[in-house]
Amino acid sequence: MNNNIQTKDILKSKDNTKQIVEKYPRHTLKIIKGNFAAAEAAKLCRVGFVPAYPITPQTSIVERLSSIVAAGELDARYVNMDSEHSVFAAAMGAALAGERVFTATSGQGLFYAHEVLHAIAHFRLPIVICNVGRPSLPWNIWSDQTDSISQRDTGWVQFYGESSQGVLDAIIQGYVISEKLDLPVMIVLDAFYQSHTSENVWVPDSDLVDEFLPPKKKNGNEIDLNNHKDYGGLVPPDHYETFNFQYWRDITKVEELTDEIGQKFGEHFGRKYSAIEAVNIGPKTKMILVALSTITSTARGVINNHPEVGLIKLRLFKPFPVKSILKAFENVPDDTIVINIERNFIGDKEGAIAHEMKHALYGRKNKMYDVYTGLGGKDVPPLTIEKIIKKGFEAPEEVMWIDFE
Amino acid sequence: MLEIRGHARGGQGMVTAFEILAKICSQSGEYHVQAFPSFGVERTGAPIQAYLRIAKGEILNRSNVYNPHLVVVFDETLIEQVPVFNGLRKNGAILINTERDAKEFADQAYKVYTVPATKISLDKDLGSKALPIVNSAMIGAIVKILNSDIESAKFIVGENVPAKRKENKEAASIAFNSVVGNDKLNEYLLNLINQSEEDLTEIELHNKTKAEEKKINLKDLPRIPFWSQPISSNKTGSWRVLTPSYVERPAPCTTNCPAGTDVRLFVKLTSEKKFDEAFRAIYDYNPFPSTCGRVCPHFCEQNCNRIELDEGLNVGAIERFLGDKSFKTNFQKGKLSHYEKVAVIGTGPAGLTSALRLTQKGYNVTVFEALPYAGGMMRTGIPQFRLPQEILDKEIERIEDQGVKLILNKKVTINELKDDFDAVIVAVGSHISSKMNIPNEEIVIDGIEFLHNFKLKGNKFKLMKGDEVAVIGGGNTAIDVARTALRIGAFPTIYYRRTRKEMPAIAHEVNEAHSEGIKIEFLTAPVDLKQNSKIDLTLIKMQLGEPDESGRRKPIPVSGSEKQIKVDKIITAIGQRSDEYVFKGQKVKAKQGRIDNDFGIPVFCSGDMSWGGTVAEAIGSGNKVAEEVNAFFKDLPFSNEKFIENIVVPSDINFNYYLPTPRTQNPVRKTKSYLNDFGEVVKGLTENEIVIESKRCLHCGDCYSCGNCFNYCPDAAIFIDDENRLRIDYDYCKGCGICANECPCSAISFQLEEAIDE
Repeated sequence: MNNNIQTKDILKSKDNTKQIVEKYPRHTLKIIKGNFAAAEAAKLCRVGFVPAYPITPQTSIVERLSSIVAAGELDARYVNMDSEHSVFAAAMGAALAGERVFTATSGQGLFYAHEVLHAIAHFRLPIVICNVGRPSLPWNIWSDQTDSISQRDTGWVQFYGESSQGVLDAIIQGYVISEKLDLPVMIVLDAFYQSHTSENVWVPDSDLVDEFLPPKKKNGNEIDLNNHKDYGGLVPPDHYETFNFQYWRDITKVEELTDEIGQKFGEHFGRKYSAIEAVNIGPKTKMILVALSTITSTARGVINNHPEVGLIKLRLFKPFPVKSILKAFENVPDDTIVINIERNFIGDKEGAIAHEMKHALYGRKNKMYDVYTGLGGKDVPPLTIEKIIKKGFEAPEEVMWIDFE
Repeated sequence: MLEIRGHARGGQGMVTAFEILAKICSQSGEYHVQAFPSFGVERTGAPIQAYLRIAKGEILNRSNVYNPHLVVVFDETLIEQVPVFNGLRKNGAILINTERDAKEFADQAYKVYTVPATKISLDKDLGSKALPIVNSAMIGAIVKILNSDIESAKFIVGENVPAKRKENKEAASIAFNSVVGNDKLNEYLLNLINQSEEDLTEIELHNKTKAEEKKINLKDLPRIPFWSQPISSNKTGSWRVLTPSYVERPAPCTTNCPAGTDVRLFVKLTSEKKFDEAFRAIYDYNPFPSTCGRVCPHFCEQNCNRIELDEGLNVGAIERFLGDKSFKTNFQKGKLSHYEKVAVIGTGPAGLTSALRLTQKGYNVTVFEALPYAGGMMRTGIPQFRLPQEILDKEIERIEDQGVKLILNKKVTINELKDDFDAVIVAVGSHISSKMNIPNEEIVIDGIEFLHNFKLKGNKFKLMKGDEVAVIGGGNTAIDVARTALRIGAFPTIYYRRTRKEMPAIAHEVNEAHSEGIKIEFLTAPVDLKQNSKIDLTLIKMQLGEPDESGRRKPIPVSGSEKQIKVDKIITAIGQRSDEYVFKGQKVKAKQGRIDNDFGIPVFCSGDMSWGGTVAEAIGSGNKVAEEVNAFFKDLPFSNEKFIENIVVPSDINFNYYLPTPRTQNPVRKTKSYLNDFGEVVKGLTENEIVIESKRCLHCGDCYSCGNCFNYCPDAAIFIDDENRLRIDYDYCKGCGICANECPCSAISFQLEEAIDE
């Protein structure tokens, strides 16, 4: 299917404006990296308050935002804080006052903010942040999901993506979901593979976003100078569960809402999203890989050569999209094996994805396997995916360290 | 899908270049692009990689590029340090920033392109020689290889560079037109972009090489990470731009000694209590350590870098101690190994030193001395209270014991010697006094004659106890004369025409004269004298004008400021010149080494008559002339010129690592009355004090294994080898320069150069 090289300047801009515009109307094609796409999204969502602190590899998100605010392109208050604990505390304060808040962090920064993450979620504050994933210790700045996954239990909703486009789109949808349910949302990026990778991103026009995400409405719980309130006092045992109950009621709506907003997003912007994506899964599938973030992209390419291998891409990770997974597995035979790909280490025999998948597929007969790969940012090339598939068909062990011979 | 991999050093702009290329390639809207770097904590100068994928359809690979179709090398020095061409496809191409011929790389790839990006970038002032920013040029070159349009590329470059837009665009343009090897369209590369299916045929190659990599043995791994040595897998030596190495530098004490003595060495040996070795280290250059330890101005001390911390080292005391300790040291008697005979005229330090050196080299040497005693000015001009007779006797005896023949009481001319010898060294000194050139000068006593005759014959020149004595001059002779007169019981006053600052006399001698009670009147000179019952001496006040040929400010008489005093004696010490008797018949302009006059025999001059004026300078002159004579006989090249560079100065020293310790001064014997007291005034130090004082040496430019470099190297790249030497492991040294900074004594050089590992 090779084109003959007749045109002298194959890469030159022809008059393709019509073609470009038609792909996604009211968008501009830009080549930007994930971190910049995140900053662009924050700008498009007209956030009003950005507390910031740098940490590799998220720093260029907050740096770019500081340029944007300084240039007057975004009307927001930007504050340098002294640490991530303070960043999230400041975010909390602003959100309590009714502001639309955005910030970003990674690894040790997220750990530093840990107690405040709990506070934000249980104060039902609709903050959206980006976390550029890094491992825990030993010290390392490369791609790993241990940091965000280890914060699963704080009460934040977590979305993972594959591309810079995915980051931008997820942030917009993130604000819709978070403001609808009053739950904080964490958009997780892969270090370097998304954060520092420049690629095609369709950036929607400002007014197109405004139509989808209106300005933040007050819900009556905000700090009000005319109606003084104290927040956060001690709650005795008799009433404690009422707060958890309300939270539980709303968190159980997230999966469905994700699909609903994803569908609406597709109608409005031209790109559809959902809680998970099932690729090549059906009655003939012999093996299903389950992956999170950029490993998913590489896996997609590899399974093109393996018609009997399917892939579950997890986009919503917390709360775990059990319904969507069960739906994807509807016609999957019992002898299909499931291989979970872990770019995280949570101090247990299996990784987090295996834990979640086992609980989702409880009662089903499919054999489950777990593979650790890519930890600490180790590159996961197509060859490694091939290796996983090969091993899965030949002699899989319950838990496999695929790169470690 | 086309995969490009780039190799550069951090700071050369490659990451930005790949981002810009991604933008250029996506202009048409038809292509998907993916550009990202692979780096971590590398700093400027360290090797990094970047990747670019271009495809018609969605790119379903988010991992590093292992099998590029095109490898781009921004910095050719990386080729030796990093496997830049690893995994390159069979029909792949490479683009190298180099001015070398593409043929040199022909075996690395199917198609080789080169572009002189560094030259182009530096011409446009982009970056520096150590780290040129070649990214725009490389973009231009890649655009050419991908057969794309440079004008639109330039536009995008201009929009995306942070500074120097015009220069960056021009660099891209020039590089576009400077790519060598682009004789035809590279169809292979361009086809790939439009190919929808990834070509996995060569992936197997990579698979094989990976499997051959060393398997990790768990037993070798620590449970938690710690480092006591560099990480073997991360050879960060490739990050280095500047290289440290242990390089000895000359120290100012040694370079300022006119005799050439390796001061730093003998001080070091003394601190290690290796007194014999230390003495021999001095003797290699200076056969009069006991004398010099007492009378030298100690040019070494004056230039000691420690002055900037607290006080200079008391080198004189150390030299004196070693000299005095070593009178019994045996030296081998010089064995005759040449037939040439050399005559030396004068047994001063220059004559005796040159005679000794030639004897040590195996020549037959005879030294002629007009006086009944040997030693030159050391004997006749330096008073006992500064240099006891027996000290000088022992030092001369030691020279005679080594085979130097002395003939005393024989004043000679060159003519008398030319038939019996093959060369003559004239070292007659400069003991004839200058005149004041004022009326009635005949009644004035010559200071040099006074010192000589008093010391060796007891002749007081009729100086009486209680005499008022005017001593004219500001050099050591004037001081010695005044102090001698004091001990005779007279009342000397020194009159000097300039100020204390310009006095050529050794500073501590002047201090001692002062503490003995001798007055000095500055800016005063004699203009007239008349013998009456006493001598009427007319003095005039001076003021200092512009500098004269000596560099010192010229004294100008202040008219109308004359005053008259009555004195009993006047002694002058205002300058010296040599006795020309030896050159009978010829007018000679004396200079160091061979003189041009034809005497029928080669004639060499040395000592005070040719230059200098101190014992140390005469010794140095003697060393040099002996070398010159030897070179003359052997028909070897010789030069008096010696240029020493890279001498350690105080700003090179890291004083933080030296504890301030006061200098141990030589004790000075004080007494109420100096009448007839000619005993030595300045005493030596004890062995203990000497060792402590020698330990104050900073070891300028000479590693003394303090271990700072070893302790501070952040890469653990400095180690101690089997021979207990400090060594740098250049596989890991990142060239941060901490070792060079923290080396207390500046024994580590830090240069833009290749590593030298001996």
